[in-house]
Amino acid sequence: MSLVRKLNPDRNITGALIPLAMIPIFGIASLIFGLTTGLIILAVIVWVVSCFYLYVFAYTRNLPHLYVFAYGVFVGCLFTLLRTYILTGKEETVELGLAIFSSWFFLGFVLLYLALTRKLKWRGREVFELAGESVEETGNGYTSRPRPIGKVAYNPKQIRQFTHFCARNLIALPYTTSKNITLVPIKMGDEFGRLLGLSGDYLDATWVNFDDQGEVSVHISQKDYLDYRESLSFDQLCASFGQVFIDFLELHSKGEGVRVIDRMDDLRIGIFS
Amino acid sequence: MDFRSAAKYASLLSKAYAEDIFALLVNYQAISASEVAARLDLHIKTAQDFLESLAQLGILSKEEVLEKKRPYYRYILQQTRILIDIDLSQIKREQTQNSLSLRIREKENAGARFSVARSGATITNVTIWTGAGREREERKIKLTPWQGKFLYYLPFPKATPLSVGEIMQKAGIDEDQASEIMDIVQFLEKYAVIETSPED
Repeated sequence: MSLVRKLNPDRNITGALIPLAMIPIFGIASLIFGLTTGLIILAVIVWVVSCFYLYVFAYTRNLPHLYVFAYGVFVGCLFTLLRTYILTGKEETVELGLAIFSSWFFLGFVLLYLALTRKLKWRGREVFELAGESVEETGNGYTSRPRPIGKVAYNPKQIRQFTHFCARNLIALPYTTSKNITLVPIKMGDEFGRLLGLSGDYLDATWVNFDDQGEVSVHISQKDYLDYRESLSFDQLCASFGQVFIDFLELHSKGEGVRVIDRMDDLRIGIFS
Repeated sequence: MDFRSAAKYASLLSKAYAEDIFALLVNYQAISASEVAARLDLHIKTAQDFLESLAQLGILSKEEVLEKKRPYYRYILQQTRILIDIDLSQIKREQTQNSLSLRIREKENAGARFSVARSGATITNVTIWTGAGREREERKIKLTPWQGKFLYYLPFPKATPLSVGEIMQKAGIDEDQASEIMDIVQFLEKYAVIETSPED
């Protein structure tokens, strides 16, 4: 069965730009300062990027991101090791080379596994697809106002646990105030801007909010709305968006959080989208 | 007393020289504008205008006097008490059941910006733009808590319009607040931010 996508194809390359940018930086640095300095610069960049993944782990508690951090540290160390060998001219032993290569192969394999099983994927696109799934009516009607969706009969503790679940599984980033818990779904490639505070106020983004009385409201940003192929009925889209999170919350409270992940995996959205 | 007359009274009483002129009026049987001006060191036109305004309000009466064939007026105080009494309920807009059944929703492409409170389900202000080109002006309307709550529940453009009463109910707003709600509804309707449709 072919899935009908409601969103435009993803052409965002922000996620790929950062690792790809390391190659020309390494090349130019090697050309100007020599290969050994180029390797040091490359190692430092890898460590800096790794720190971002550590930050993601600290914010979301998503363990695969901690793994990416560790992998980045390892790769950075490999570059400095390589530099040492180039500088000293000392040839490495076969045993050491094998140990390094097998470790790198194993760690790389685990990383690939995590990526392919979508454990490192930000799920914003899945959320938007699920929200658009049930909306057939078109007719625009966009407004920057949030839409009250209704009330959920869950206590703040249950909602907080759900937001931790959303963060851990990269469904949405939580922002908590004394009265509100706001979830901001993040699409792949948008995580850098949002987490580094370069994307502006989170209230201008797309969010779903749970207040301390259980009232749910939704706001969809114009950028995200225009990402749909058609001008879906905005009122219905907001209602559907809120309903997706209410359904997720219900499943999570029943201890069926895995079903939430299954629903999103069933959409078979590319791992880089 | 209607609001307009009260405003005239207040305007006259607020003049820096008002008390001094009244002191002359209450102590003299009759006094002319030139006498007042000379006594208080005012311009004769200032004294003349003030006394004329009081005469128009009925506080003074005036009698024409001829002196060397040149007529002028002498002013006589008619009342020693000035009472400003305004019944504000006269200017209160009474809400009828009909106005609460007015069905409304946000107008598409209204060009207004609604700012949401960080604390929760309420709009803090609405920014609208009036005029075009160089005449274009931004106008920011600060909302009362009830108005903010009401607008939070306003149906989206193209959504089914709801009556003012229904929206108030959704937002948990008491009917006592209807007049301030209707005020913002009428204002936003005037600036084409919301559209209305009569009850089905």
